[in-house]
Amino acid sequence: MARITANRLVKRYGAFQAVHGIDFDIADGEFVAILGPSGCGKSSTMRMIAGLESVSAGQILFDGVAVNDVRARDRNVAMSFENYALYAPITVYENIAFPLRSAGKDATEIDRAVRTVAEKMELTTLLGLKPGALSSGQAQRVGLARALVRKPAVFLLDEPISHLDTRQRYRMRRFIKSIHQEFGHTMIYVTHDQEEALALADRVMVMSDGMIQQMATPQEVYSRPANAFVAGFVGEPPINFLDYSDGNDSGLTIEGNRVALTDGLKARIRTVGPRGLAAIRPHFLRLGSASPIRLQGRGFITEELQDHNEIFVDVGGARVALVTPPGQKVARGEEVTLSVDPENLLLFPADVRVKEHSDEL
Amino acid sequence: MQRKTSVIIEILRYGTIFLVLGFFVFPIFWMVLTSFKPEGAIMVSPPQFFFTPTLENYAHALFDKNFLFYIKNTLIISVISTAIVVAFGSLAAYSFARYNVGDGHILFFILSTKMMPAIAVILPYFLIFRDVGKTAIGKSLHLGLDQHGALIVSYVMFNLPFAIWLLVSFFLDIPRSLEHSARLDGLSRIQVLRKVTFPLAAPGIAVTAVFTLIFCWNEFLFAYILTRKMASTVTVGVESFFTLQGILWGPVAAAATISVAPMLIFVLVMQRYMVRGLTFGAVRG
Repeated sequence: MARITANRLVKRYGAFQAVHGIDFDIADGEFVAILGPSGCGKSSTMRMIAGLESVSAGQILFDGVAVNDVRARDRNVAMSFENYALYAPITVYENIAFPLRSAGKDATEIDRAVRTVAEKMELTTLLGLKPGALSSGQAQRVGLARALVRKPAVFLLDEPISHLDTRQRYRMRRFIKSIHQEFGHTMIYVTHDQEEALALADRVMVMSDGMIQQMATPQEVYSRPANAFVAGFVGEPPINFLDYSDGNDSGLTIEGNRVALTDGLKARIRTVGPRGLAAIRPHFLRLGSASPIRLQGRGFITEELQDHNEIFVDVGGARVALVTPPGQKVARGEEVTLSVDPENLLLFPADVRVKEHSDEL
Repeated sequence: MQRKTSVIIEILRYGTIFLVLGFFVFPIFWMVLTSFKPEGAIMVSPPQFFFTPTLENYAHALFDKNFLFYIKNTLIISVISTAIVVAFGSLAAYSFARYNVGDGHILFFILSTKMMPAIAVILPYFLIFRDVGKTAIGKSLHLGLDQHGALIVSYVMFNLPFAIWLLVSFFLDIPRSLEHSARLDGLSRIQVLRKVTFPLAAPGIAVTAVFTLIFCWNEFLFAYILTRKMASTVTVGVESFFTLQGILWGPVAAAATISVAPMLIFVLVMQRYMVRGLTFGAVRG
């Protein structure tokens, strides 16, 4: 078990800087997901923790001790990989035993450890097979078993389930969560899938452009995103971004709707400015005028997904998505009022890039 | 009706296979057959398929022409060249595949050396080896004209670029995560190479070795120009059967049969590794 700290951690590849001096502190036994789009520096960060890549500047500490110059094999770190990284010519049993054999453990000890972990991972009947004969879910369980068998201080998972189909992904997600609950390793989980990150982690570290955008609990990342990038990256369907203008103590205007503000939002306007982005999660928007902040719009499309409906409404020049309980519908062209509670209206400085990103969705 | 068509298709299929095989195998068959024919039976028309076999052609090739001497030279030169090509080629290819040395430019430069026709460099090679052979280092490494070292160096120069290109693609196919995983599992970088990467690249290395060895074995131009007697290889040796009295077809066939045999055995042995490569693939995607 280990606490992991990063001090001004930098990774450069030649002239390109992948990680820009980040700081974080991961508690012993904590489950942290590093979430971000490809190229955000999340994999570089993980490989530096593993010792697979050198640290360009700054420090990584395990339990307060700098490990920059400690070799990968001496860090007691286990890792499971997106493509499983199993050795094809040898059996599942030998794959799981591999780290113990390289550590020079004796045969009876290896056998006991392999069988124990195989049972936990529901692999007992597969021990004699070679990796080529396994399904992708089974192969990933072997990968996890090989990582677990050596009782590592830190368990790193690099997109472990993004190769699997939806059903297998759900199953493996619970599997990974239960591994964490049972063994209590410090676990770091790299993913580009915000749903996995929210479902699994105690805390989510959202990265973009080599910097940490926010590191907080899933609840906080979802409801209180630190900036427009986090707001846009986390959440499905994606958050609605609307331009607002004329923001002052008396209120602000969103697509022609003048909205009065609470004290909290007034303070926020003072930092963000009179113009910017208003962001509202589709799950927090409601049909009707039950909440104090109201927007007028016309119905566009209703998707009836049975367990919930997704309704798209044109508000001024913008299209807004909302998630409603099943049964609620809006006809095309129908005049509707949408409302949201003030604590769920988020204001950010105008960010051209974020806006473009959300237009693609 | 259905059955009848499928029978016709089967007949056509096997007929085609038979024709294609015949096209490739018949010359070898005829060579082996000729090597056992008495002198009078070789150039007769119509060709004879049945005759009293004789070993006199082999006796002539082996004892009068001392053909084993050429085989020995060829073995020494081919095997050493191939060993050097595979050893240096796989290490070079690994660094190109993993560390992207030279950002692709060096790799392309290496391939570009292969674009020079052999005939264009043979004269410079001749002059270089003539002069190098007179130096102390050249003497100790047998790099002079009509010496094994000269041919080995030439063959390495000619095969290394191709070998590197071939091997780079095999190394690129091995996922990095396998090496990462092995490093976390307690292996040093050198151990990772020895225990994980090279075993997985074995089929590629086998293919490269086969190509290189066959090239060296068959090579004629360099061997003809750079050797006279002491380091001559089988291809040059066979040429010495073309005498003023005419071509000794029987002994030529016997000599050719003898020279093909080691290659045939080698390829059969290596085939196991090459076929194994198909089921050896590192991971499922």
